[in-house]
Amino acid sequence: MILGLVQILFFQSLGELVSKFVFPSLPGPVIGLVLLLIWLVVNKNISESLAFVADGFSKYLGILFVPAAVGVVLFLPQLKANAVPIVGALVVSVVLTIASSALVLKLLTKKTDTHE
Amino acid sequence: MNEKNSIVEIWVYLSGSPLLALFITLAAFQVGLFVYQKSKQSPLANPVAIAVILVATFIQVIDMPYATYFEGAQFIHFLLGSATVSLAIPIYRGLDSLKKRSFPLFVSLLAGGGASILSAVGIATLLGADKTIIGAMYSKSVTAPIAMGIAERIGASPTLTAIFAVATGVLGAILAPFVLNALGMKAWWQRGFPIGVAAHGLGTSRAFSINHEAGAYASLAMGMHGIVGAIAIPVLFHFFNS
Repeated sequence: MILGLVQILFFQSLGELVSKFVFPSLPGPVIGLVLLLIWLVVNKNISESLAFVADGFSKYLGILFVPAAVGVVLFLPQLKANAVPIVGALVVSVVLTIASSALVLKLLTKKTDTHE
Repeated sequence: MNEKNSIVEIWVYLSGSPLLALFITLAAFQVGLFVYQKSKQSPLANPVAIAVILVATFIQVIDMPYATYFEGAQFIHFLLGSATVSLAIPIYRGLDSLKKRSFPLFVSLLAGGGASILSAVGIATLLGADKTIIGAMYSKSVTAPIAMGIAERIGASPTLTAIFAVATGVLGAILAPFVLNALGMKAWWQRGFPIGVAAHGLGTSRAFSINHEAGAYASLAMGMHGIVGAIAIPVLFHFFNS
C-alpha cells in the first residue's frame, strides 16, 4: 500500500510542477493522471500495491468531495433564488448528454458490433 | 453550572482542532453508506448527498462557521488530488476496449461533452440564472475531483461545481435507463459508455451494478471525459465569455 501511495504522490507532485511551470491552464492532478497513465502503458503492468490504493480511492471517492460540497451552506440563498434554472438545466442537460452520446455510438458502429 | 462550563470547554477545545470536522464528515458518510445499502443501492439514497445534508445541517445547528469546519476537513479534501491521479488505473484497464473502438468512442465523447455544456449553459442562461451559477455548469458532467480543478482554473466556484456534479451523477444514474431504452440501445458497451460520459462516478457505479461490461465502458468514458474536459473546457469557457 505504501509503494502505491508513494507512486501516486510522486506523480501528483510531478503534475503540480508541470502545471506550475509548463501548462498553467491544466490542473496539476490531471497532468499527474496522464503521466501515471503513460508510465503504466510503458511498463505494461500495475503493481499490486498501486492497484490496492487506486481501488480504495475509487470505492470511496465520494467522501472526498463532502468538505467542498458542504460549502453549499454559503450558497443557500443563491441556490433558492435560482432553483428553476438550476433544476431545468441539470435535468435536461443530463438527458441530452446521454442521448447524444448514445446516438453517435449507434450511428457510428456497424450492425455486427452491437452484439457482445 | 460547573459541569456545564466544563462541557463548553471540551466543546471549544474540540471545535478548535481538526478532530470534530473529521469525525462528523466520516460519521455522516458512514450513515450515508448505511442508508444506501439498506435502500438496495437506490441512486436516490446517494451517500454523498446524505453526508452533505447531515454535515451542513449539523454545522448550522451548532453555529460553526464553514471556514472553521473546512480547516479541519481539508485533510480529506486534500486527497482529491491523489484520487484524481489514481484514476489512471481504471483508464489503463480500459485501454484495450478503447483501442478496439477508438473512433466511435471519441466522437461519442465529444458529442456528449459538447451537448452537456451547450444545453446546461444555454438553459441556465435562458432561464436567467446568475453568472456564478452558469460558470459552475461548465464542468458538471466531468468527475467531481477534476471538475473542481477545472472550476478553479476558469474562476468558477468549486463548491457549486461539486454540488452540480453530484446532482448530475444522481440524475444520470436515475434517468439513464429510460433514455437508453427509449433510443433502443441494446449492446452493453453502448449503454455503459454514455452513462460514464454524462454521469461520471455515480453513473459508473450504477452501470457496474447492472452489468460488468457496461461498467467498464462507463469507467473508461468517465476517465476520457476527465482528461479531455480538463483541456477543452477552459478553452470553451473563454470562447463563450470573451
